[in-house]
This record gives sequence, structure tokens and C-alpha cells, in this order.
Amino acid sequence: MKKAAGNNRRWQKRLLAGALAMGLLGGIFAEGNSLKATADAPYKSYTVDGYGSVTETQTAYLPYKTITKIGDETLLSPTDFCLLEDGTMYVLDSGNGRVVISDPEGEFLGSFGEGTLVTPRGIFVTEDRITYVADRDAKQIFVFDESGALIRSYGRPDVPMYGETQDFLPLKIVVNSSGTMYIVCESNTNGIVEISPVEDGTFLGYFGTNATDANIWTLIWRALLTDAQRAKMRSNIPSTPDNMAIDEKGIIYTVTRGEGQEVLKRLNIAGVNMIEPDTTDTTPAAVAVGNHDNCFVVSQQGFVYEYNNEGDLLFVFGGKDDGQSRIGLASKAEAIQVGSDDKLYILDSDKAQIQVYEPTEFTDYLHEALYLFSKGRYTESKVPLGKVLEMNNLFDYANMAMGKALYKEEDYEGALKYARLAKDLDGYSDAFWEIRNEWIKHHLTAVVLILLGFFLLRACIRMLDRKKHILDTPRAFLRKLGEKKLIRELRYMFYFMRHPIDGCYGIKREGRVSVTAANILLAIGLVFYIINRYFCGFLFKTVREGRFDVLSDIGMVLIAAALLVGCNYLMCTINDGEGKLKDIYCAFIYSFSPYLVMQPFLFLLSHGVTYNEEFFVRFGTLVMFAWVVVLIVISVREINNYTVGETVKILFLTAFTVLIVCLLAFILYVLWAQVFDFVGSFVREVVYRIGS
Amino acid sequence: MAHKIMQKFISLLLSAALGAGIVAGAALTFEPAALHARAAEEIDGHRFLTENDGYRLYLKEEDLSLIIEDKATGTIMESAVSYDDGKNNDIWLGAMRSAVVLTLINKSDDTLQADLLNDQVSKTVTTNDHGFTAELYWKKYSLGFTLEVGFDNNGLTARIPESSIREDSEQYFIGTIRIYPFMGYSYLDDKEGYMLVPDGNGALIYLDDKEGRYASGFSGTIYGTDIGFEDSKVETLLWNRYNTIADAEKVLAPVFGIAHTGEGMAFLGIVEDGRERAAIEVVPNGASVDYNRAYARFVLRRLYTQPTSNNSTVGSLRICEADRSHSDLQVRFLFLSGEDADYVGMAAAYRNYLLGKGDLEIREDTYKTRIDFLGSDRQSWVLGTQAVVMTTVDDIKEIYGDLQSEGITDILSVYKGWQKGGLYNLPLTSLSVESKLGGKGDLKSLMNSLQGTDTELYLYDNALLINPDETNATFNVIKKVNKRRYEYTTYKDVYETFYYLTPARSKLLLNRFAKSITSAGTPNLALAGITNNLFTYTYSTEKYTRFDCAAVYAEAIDALASGTNLLLEQPISAYWNDTSVFLDMPLYTSHYILEDESVPFLSLTLKGVMPVYAEYVNFEANGQEFFLKMIETGSYPSFYVTGADSSELIYTNSNDVYSSRYESYRGRILEYTEVFRDLSSRTAGATVTGHVIDGDLRIVTYSNGLKIYLNYGTSPRTADGVTVEGMDYAIVD
Repeated sequence: MKKAAGNNRRWQKRLLAGALAMGLLGGIFAEGNSLKATADAPYKSYTVDGYGSVTETQTAYLPYKTITKIGDETLLSPTDFCLLEDGTMYVLDSGNGRVVISDPEGEFLGSFGEGTLVTPRGIFVTEDRITYVADRDAKQIFVFDESGALIRSYGRPDVPMYGETQDFLPLKIVVNSSGTMYIVCESNTNGIVEISPVEDGTFLGYFGTNATDANIWTLIWRALLTDAQRAKMRSNIPSTPDNMAIDEKGIIYTVTRGEGQEVLKRLNIAGVNMIEPDTTDTTPAAVAVGNHDNCFVVSQQGFVYEYNNEGDLLFVFGGKDDGQSRIGLASKAEAIQVGSDDKLYILDSDKAQIQVYEPTEFTDYLHEALYLFSKGRYTESKVPLGKVLEMNNLFDYANMAMGKALYKEEDYEGALKYARLAKDLDGYSDAFWEIRNEWIKHHLTAVVLILLGFFLLRACIRMLDRKKHILDTPRAFLRKLGEKKLIRELRYMFYFMRHPIDGCYGIKREGRVSVTAANILLAIGLVFYIINRYFCGFLFKTVREGRFDVLSDIGMVLIAAALLVGCNYLMCTINDGEGKLKDIYCAFIYSFSPYLVMQPFLFLLSHGVTYNEEFFVRFGTLVMFAWVVVLIVISVREINNYTVGETVKILFLTAFTVLIVCLLAFILYVLWAQVFDFVGSFVREVVYRIGS
Repeated sequence: MAHKIMQKFISLLLSAALGAGIVAGAALTFEPAALHARAAEEIDGHRFLTENDGYRLYLKEEDLSLIIEDKATGTIMESAVSYDDGKNNDIWLGAMRSAVVLTLINKSDDTLQADLLNDQVSKTVTTNDHGFTAELYWKKYSLGFTLEVGFDNNGLTARIPESSIREDSEQYFIGTIRIYPFMGYSYLDDKEGYMLVPDGNGALIYLDDKEGRYASGFSGTIYGTDIGFEDSKVETLLWNRYNTIADAEKVLAPVFGIAHTGEGMAFLGIVEDGRERAAIEVVPNGASVDYNRAYARFVLRRLYTQPTSNNSTVGSLRICEADRSHSDLQVRFLFLSGEDADYVGMAAAYRNYLLGKGDLEIREDTYKTRIDFLGSDRQSWVLGTQAVVMTTVDDIKEIYGDLQSEGITDILSVYKGWQKGGLYNLPLTSLSVESKLGGKGDLKSLMNSLQGTDTELYLYDNALLINPDETNATFNVIKKVNKRRYEYTTYKDVYETFYYLTPARSKLLLNRFAKSITSAGTPNLALAGITNNLFTYTYSTEKYTRFDCAAVYAEAIDALASGTNLLLEQPISAYWNDTSVFLDMPLYTSHYILEDESVPFLSLTLKGVMPVYAEYVNFEANGQEFFLKMIETGSYPSFYVTGADSSELIYTNSNDVYSSRYESYRGRILEYTEVFRDLSSRTAGATVTGHVIDGDLRIVTYSNGLKIYLNYGTSPRTADGVTVEGMDYAIVD
């Protein structure tokens, strides 16, 4: 506890020092070439919930100031910049072909590179102030010393491994502590070029290559297409990373335009990706590493994303300035840097300015929690987490972390609640396991006693029944009930699922079932389906909490049933099948008997198991559906009196017919929509012309 | 005696000099006050026309431009640009020197300019004791109107009567009219001072050299944009779905102003007639021309997009409104000098103007702890929706009891989502209370028990929206000018779309609702929606303007104000007289890049007149800063609380209420109450007479001598011997 307090104090100190530094800088900057800070933002901040959908949250970062000039120097299409620990900034003033140095106060310290740089696009400055500039059109990496004198340059690696025809068009560069350069080159799809400074630049190989998305479908698809069509398809060449950043441990972060896992990667020394971000932008411009095991991505449109070290999205804010001219919106964001005081600096090449954002109180609490949590100090992290949750009850990451922290403290009920709010399935499963374990421990004796009592009671009743026939009346009632036609028809399902061949005979020849009974079974099946879909155990839920779309669910099932039965009947009639529509319908419905019998048990089971025992539910479901499929195949064969070969043929034909019907429906829909649109437009125009 | 002779001599000399045309140009200032006891015959081609107690008016008939001279100091303000930097073309010169500038609509072109310099205009000017009238007619375009300028102790008025507007052409129609658009202009950084922007609570644009940074100025439609003309915009959305840009603040009051602080002269412009369809434009140098200017732009007609197919990208026509809007157009300029020539003076002038005109009444300014409650909302369930109960009537009783035990009895509460079907079951027609909150009986008994106490509970009603998922919304909803139904999208899961009721329907339903709550003995109503929205719309082939909309709303609100205890949520200035407190005052601006400083103009206007409550504390990320801002502006805090945890709201439309549990806010409610109760008692009835911005430091002076020092920086600051810690404040009596 004492230690915790100490840590808290240290944290407070850090916050205070940061705040102080901010204040000082702010005071000075306000005098210089920057515009005033504001206390409210023209953009909204969002976070994502456990399903990846967006929810609004407190403003995460506020516009702090806008740097439009360095001293009296204006910038022309700047493309990149580098911020050092002490606040010194090296801005790559590409339009003027130079590097401009600014002190933390925004005063001009000097510039260099004039005359040398042609089309510089990327800059990296080491802690001992060696500047590396990636110049695309000079096809060189220029290295300048602290005074701005050119000390080295590296050109295209002259080794076969680099690629015979591969040009060297460097765009972005980062350098690790041993001087190894990582270079993003234009139209080099092999990956990041890795060059060591030894022997005037030794090409070490390609690093962090992106993969192509070649799945089985694209392969089949490509095989079917003509050359011309294939040329029109999206190219299957891996995309080149667009930008990167490096942290103090030498871990490299890359961003790549596109979708999926490639967008943001965190690569260790071996080039292996260590994160899987849940939500990404399709046009990332730059990435930066934060001070709390977090990282930031800015998209070209000016959306800023903050992720934790596992790739969970914490915030997204900002946006594009579509002519509103409001502070904090971007025209074309190109680069992002994080100050040692957690401020964000975003370079806008269109506006030729650097926009600075400062974290709010809310974000400071979150960062504190993030830091403690990533260091495994869960109990301490509860204080800032509590603050975050007090300010925003629905903040997903905080709920997840709070769940984990409570789990470590063995408050499983609390952990369960937060895990469910955060949709943290693993956390929920673990907490549930513990709760169930507790429950079993406490209630095992009682359960055993109750079961024992139950068996005793049953034995007693049986004994009494044997001697005094006390159960005769209910038995007679049940027998009478069972003799009712409808009940008999319904009960036939139990027979059908065990004896499908005889069962089909009963349906076809003996009239053992009716359409009414089949309809009732269908209705029961639907009810089971809906209940299971929306109220099964949390871990097995396939729909989002709080979302209900029952009518379309029922509609889908009914349409599927109608299509299947209808198409099968059509195919059977033209293939000498003996089955009547009624028989086929009833046989199909009765084939789903295993579903009606097993689903309730699986449903109950889904409420009692964790991920450790999910096998039981999954296996049960598999058995159930396999059984259903077997029954369907046997039914088709028996009802129509087919051979095995014919049955297989009919099944394929049915599937094909279903496909055709769907296609037809789609085409009809599109055509009708066009007709309606045309008529609508026509009428509207006539109305307008007459009206005016 | 000798003094008098001297005076005469000097003024004689002066008139001679003027006559010879030596004195010219913008920087026309004279030193000793006594020199201006008599009017000059002419200043810069403008001849003396009339005067009031403090100022003289000079007119140049050629372009009807004016010069206003401060009698005390001789400082002048010009309505037309007298200094040409040589960079302006004829069109711009025409705009800069004409008393009225029009844009005309010719088919689908709305950029044609008409003014008094570039066009042949027939002009009949008649002067009178208090100004002049000028009948103007543009022969080329066959249109014209009369400009009436009046000058008395209530300032300068420029008016175009509706009856005088003529449009005789089949080809040219009036799009917009600007009256004296360059009043009080300045060139680059020639003059020290700023322009007042009515954005949010208020903002300033300094009269420094902007070095061409801004391509355009501030343009804000008075009382909010017109959704009736809303086109499908090209917006950059996050993941093509979410609009991350916060809505800009509305222009709640039709004012603008320019202060030349170096010379000690300022004006406050007030749009009096035609404000329902006008915009305030405040444009710094560098935006097209190098002159700073602020003016009102009246809109008479607009072009709009008429889609001709369901798919708006396929076919659409750009067409002009068939009829223009009909209203007198009038701007009043109030001139201020000396110490009053700043934004505090402007706020005072505006306050006095409103009080004098009866558009504002002095209300009792006692501090009440404002705690709003959210009753219930809906979440989806198997078929339809189910209630999510957040704060029951019993919860409210319990919270009141808890606060009373802490000595807090002065409470103002708005109860949202009290109605059957939850917060978004709109519109309301009767006092039908959600049974899960305790039903009508419980609510009535609570409200009755509060009668005669200092605790007030108001029922919340958004009279603008209708929920098509819960109510039949086929009729009585508005369509835009292009006859497409207006849909308000929430981007939420349960209710995705709302429509707007027609103003007549809103009025009717409000009337019904008011009767229902009055007869139940609970006539406390907090009204929202119609309090700050005006729109052009069509309904069953008829087109209605914002003037029609405003008239119906004003009637409805007036009726409510007399029949019920009425509170209005963020009302536009037209309804300020109808509310006893101002709810949800914006404390900031929309953060346009060109705004140099945000100032609490509206707060300065209303402080001492009525209690003003800020927007909810809950959703502020920087709590301490917001707290200081409330103290600076004299606004009171508002809390939005619930009995249940706000995580319950996760699947409802209210999922943006992410923090509201009473327990989380209890400490802050108690703490704030102590601070603001004290502050309120010390500033009761006093107005703000001084507001100084010095870096991170703000000094607010009240008319009773109270001074508040606020420090928004993190390091201590000292002023007048008072040291204020970082992010803190100090009060000195």
C-alpha cells in the first residue's frame, strides 16, 4: 500500500512537471508565431466498444496551438519533421529544399541542406543530433552532422540481393541506436530497405514485408478470369509501407494504406508483427510512438488514432477541414510526433503548419492507468481507472482493464460485470470459471443431497405406485392425451429421428404426420432458434448485446425453408421422384427433430460452461447438425424412392436451383428498382415543371 | 472669456482648413476636446447632416456613405473605404464604397453584384431632421428600394422597408442585401482594436495584419443554419459513417461590432428587422481585400438543389426560390466612445438596448443548484423496445433528501425522459408518465410537495422532434424547400431517424400539453428544440419562410410563458424575455481559426439580468478549466444525474450520456454549490463593468466593486497585489 502511494505521488509529480512544462511553453509560444490555445474542441472524440463500433467520449486532446512560422521563416509544403526529447524540432521544409531547426519556443535556430536536397521527403534526427534525410529525386540518403554539414550519403545498394531492376527512391527513414537505417522506398514492394552504416552502407536485406492476400477464393477467381479481366483486378502485389516510427528499444512501427492487419504493424528486430489492431484507417499517413506503451496513427484526412500496446483503439479524434476553417482540423496530415509532455504534433503539408494538441485531464488519467496496467501493477491502476470510469462509464478499455484488475484481486463478480461491459470474452470466461468454481465448492453438498432426495422420492413413488397404483390416473390421462391424433403426430418425431427409413415410410404411405404437426414443429423450432440466438450464454452469443432483429431472423428461416422445400420438390418432379409436396415438406421438417430435442440442452449448457469446456457445446452442436443432414439425405432418398446416386444428384440440383432462384430474385429486384426510379424521376420532373 | 475667443479662433481656422480640403484620409483625429464643440461643414466630401447628444452624422450623397464623428474627441468612423491601396478592382471598390451592396440572381447564377458605383442607379435623396431617405432604382436590373437612415440618441438606423422593395424584371432577382458593409472598417493593422464575432459566447478578431492567412471570414446565419436548404454535403466521415466534426455554435444574438480601442471609438451593430433570415459576416484583412469589416447580410432569395430522382447524384436542378422572403430590413448601429469602446461596453450597450426595448426583463438572480435527471430511455428487445429505467421519482426524492441533509434546498431540476415510452417518445401531448418511474401519481405528488419550497422541478419537452418509430409521422412533418422530407439522423441504434414537426403542429401539441400539465397542477415546463431552430419548409404544396416559422414559435412560446412556469434551453435572443433562467449557455466558441480570442460577450450581457446556467459539467474533459470558465462568465454549473449507473444506457439512444451516476457527482455538487452560492450572493444584481485579458490571467470587475482574478496558466500570477495560484481564482471585494 505504501509503495502504491509512493508511485501515485511519483505520478502526480510527473503530471505536474509535464503540466508545468506545458504552461511555460504555452506562455512563451503565445507570444511567438503561434495562435492561442483553446479549451474546447471543434471535433468529437470517439472510442470503440467491444464490438468495434464507435461511441462518443470526452474530448481526448484539445488543440493547443498552431505553429505557422518558425521565427520569421515560413514553410513551403513541409513533408516531415522530427521532435527531439528537449523540444527541438527539425522540420523538413521540402518546398524550400532545406531543414529548418526550431527551439522549443518556436524560435528559428538555423537551417541547412540548401543546395544539397532535391526532393526531400523524410527526416530522422538521432539523440546526438545527426540528421538523416531521405531524398527521393536525389536517390540518396543524406547525413548531416550537428552543425548541418553534410558528412555522408548513401545511394542505391549495389548488390544483386537488392533486386536487379529495383530503383532507389527513398521516402521515409528511421535509424536505430547502432546506426542501422530503415528506409521506405517508393514502388519497392519488397519491404523496408535495411542498410547498415559499415563499409559505406551495407545492404542487410528487406524488413517487415507485407503479405499479399491470396486466399483460395481469389486463386479460383483469378483462374476463371481472362487476362484483361485479371489486369483490371486489384493488383496482388504487396503494398509498400507508407511510413514508420521507431521506439527506444528499436521496435519499428509501420503503417500501410489498405485494410486489415497490414495497416499498423509493430515489428520486433526479427521483423515479426506483434500487434493486431482491432480498428484501422484505410489511408494512414504516419505513426508515432507514445510515452506510455501506446502509439498514434494519423490519417491523411486528419483523423488521429491512439492505440495501446496490444493494438486496442483508445481514441480517435480530429477530422478533415472541408472548408470549416476550425482549429484542430487538418487539410492533409503528413507526419506526427509525440512530445515528452504527451503533446501531439501533427504536420499539415497543405496548410504548411504544425498543429499541437494537448491531452485533457481525462486522457492523463487514462495514460496513468495504461502505464500502471502494462507494468502489471493492477491494484494501483484501479485508482486512475476508477477516475476514468467515473468520467466515462462506457469507456471500453477502462472497463476491460478494471475487469482484469478486479480479477487479480479475486473480486470475480466485479470482474464478470466489467468483462461483460467490455465484451472481453476471455476475461469473462475466466471470471465465470472462478465464480462457478466457488459456487460448486459451496453448493456441492447441497446439490448432491438434492439429487439424492430426488432419487429417493422417485423410488418411493414407484414403490407406492406398485402397491397402491397412485399414478394410474395421471397415466391414464397421459395415455388418453397420447391417443389424440395431433399429439401422436408430434410424438412421431422421436420415432423419425431414430428410424428415418421407417419414418419416411410412415410419412409417405401411412399418413403418420400432418402438415399441421409439421407447422407446429417449425414454429417450435423457430422459438428455440430465437431464444438461443438472443439469450444463450454470453460466450456463445453470435449477435451483439442489445441488438434485436427478430422479424428478419424469422423471415430468413422461413424463406430458407420455403426455398429448400420448393426447389427440392421442383427438381424431384422432373426427376421421377415419387414424393408429393406435402410429404417432402413434412420429411424436411421432421428431419430437424434432433434440433428440437438437443437445442434446449445445448442452450442450458451454454450458460454453464466457460471457454475451457466450450468443446461440449461446440461438439454437441456439430453432432446435432450432422444428424439433421443425415436425416435430410435419407428422407430425400426414401420419399422419392431414389438410388444413392440419384439422391446425390438431386441434392446438387436443389442447391443449384436455390442459387438460380436467388439470382433471379436479385435481377428482378434490380430491374424493378430501376423502373421505379425512372417512373419516380419522371413524375417528379413533370410535377416540378408544371409547378413552376 | 479669453478661452472662448481662442476656441472660436481655432474652429474658424479649422473650417478654413477643411474647406481647402487639406484634411483628408482615415486617420482624422483631433486632440483637444473643446475643438469639436461645433460641427465641421464637411469631412472628406461628406457634408454635415444631423447630430445627437454625442455624435455628428455626415453624408456624401454620391454613394450615400456616412461619417460619424465623436463630438467629444473628434474621432470618426467611416461607412465607406476612403483609402484605396490600389489592389482593388472596380467590383470591390463598388462594394467598399456603396451604402448598399446587392447580389443578384440570374437563372442559376447568384454571384452578380449590384452597387451604387458601378451601376447606373437613379437616386432621389431627401434629407430630414434625423437623417435621410434615398429612393434607389437600378435601371439595368429593373429593381430598387428605399434606404432610410435615421440618427438619434438611440444610435443610427439603416432601414429598407419591405413595401419599398421592387423587382420589376423577369430576369434579375435580389439574392442578398448588405447595408453599410464597411461601417467602421480599417486597413490592415492601421488601427488598434478588434471585431466582435457572435460565435458561441463571443469571440474577437484583432485588427492586426493577418498576412493573408485567411481566405474567408466568419459567416454565421443568425439563429442557426436553415435546414430547409440543407443539401447532401460532401463530408469526410470517419469510416464513411461518423461525422467527427462538432456542430458549430449557433449565432444566438444578432449582433456584431468593431472597436477601435486605440482611438476610443466603437460600434455595436444590431440586426433588428429581417434577422430571421440574415447572416453576420466578420471578415479580417487578407480575405479578398486588405480591409477589416463586419456587417449583416440579408438573404431574400437563395438557390437550391432540386433532385429529380431518388438517387440524388443522378439528376438534379439548381433553381431559385420562386418568391423572396418578405420583411423590413433594419440594422442599428450603437456608437460607443472612450472607456466604453470595448466588448464590455458593447455588452452593456446591448443589455441596455434589450432592457429599454422590453426584449429582456430583470429576473431574480438567486443561485440554485441545478441537477437534471434522466428518467428513462428505451433499448431494443425481442419485439420492439423495453424501458431502461435510470431515475425514478423515488430516486429524485432520495437525492433531494440527501442534498437537504447537506443544507442544499435551493434546487433547480429539469426532468428529462419522464414520459411514457422514454426520452425519445416524442412529441408529448399529455402528462403521461412512464409507469416504471412511479407513474403519474408519484410524479404529481412529488411536484405538489415541492410547491412553496425553493426546489423547482421542470418537465422537459422537445417540441420540435417526432419519432417515426413510435408515432405516426406521415403528416404534420416538414419538408425542405425541395419538397423532400427533412430527416434528422442520430447515428444511434434504437431510433435512427427523427423528423421535424411543422411549427403549427408544434404549437398545437404544446398547447395541449401545457393544458394537461396545468390542469394536473404541475405547470413547470422546460422547453427545448423550438427554442433555437428556425427553418424554411414546405408543407402540402405551401412554402413557409423562417419568418413564418419564427412567428408561430414566438406565439407558442409567449402563450406558454404566460400560462406556465417556463424555462428555455439555449434560447435565441428573440425569446429571452420568456424564460426565467437561461439554460445551457455555451461558454466557448466554434474555434474558427481566424478567431483570436474568445470573450464571454453573451454572459457579460446577461449577467445581472437573469441567472445563466452553463452546459453540463459531466462531459467536460478538463473539469478545473471549465470550473474557472463558469466563474469567469458568471454562469452556474449544471449536472445531469441518474440513479442507476450510466453503463445501463449502453444500448439506448442516450449512450452519449456516459457519466451520470449521482454518487459520482455528489461530492462535486456539494463543492460547487458552496462556491457558486457564495459568488452569487456577492454578485447578486451586479453587472460586469470590466473584463481584462492578460495572457492566462483574467480580471473580471463587477459594478459593485467585486473583482475576480482567474489564472488559466499553471504557474502563479500576480496582479494588483493579488497572487493567484495556477488553475485557480481569487475574489477581492
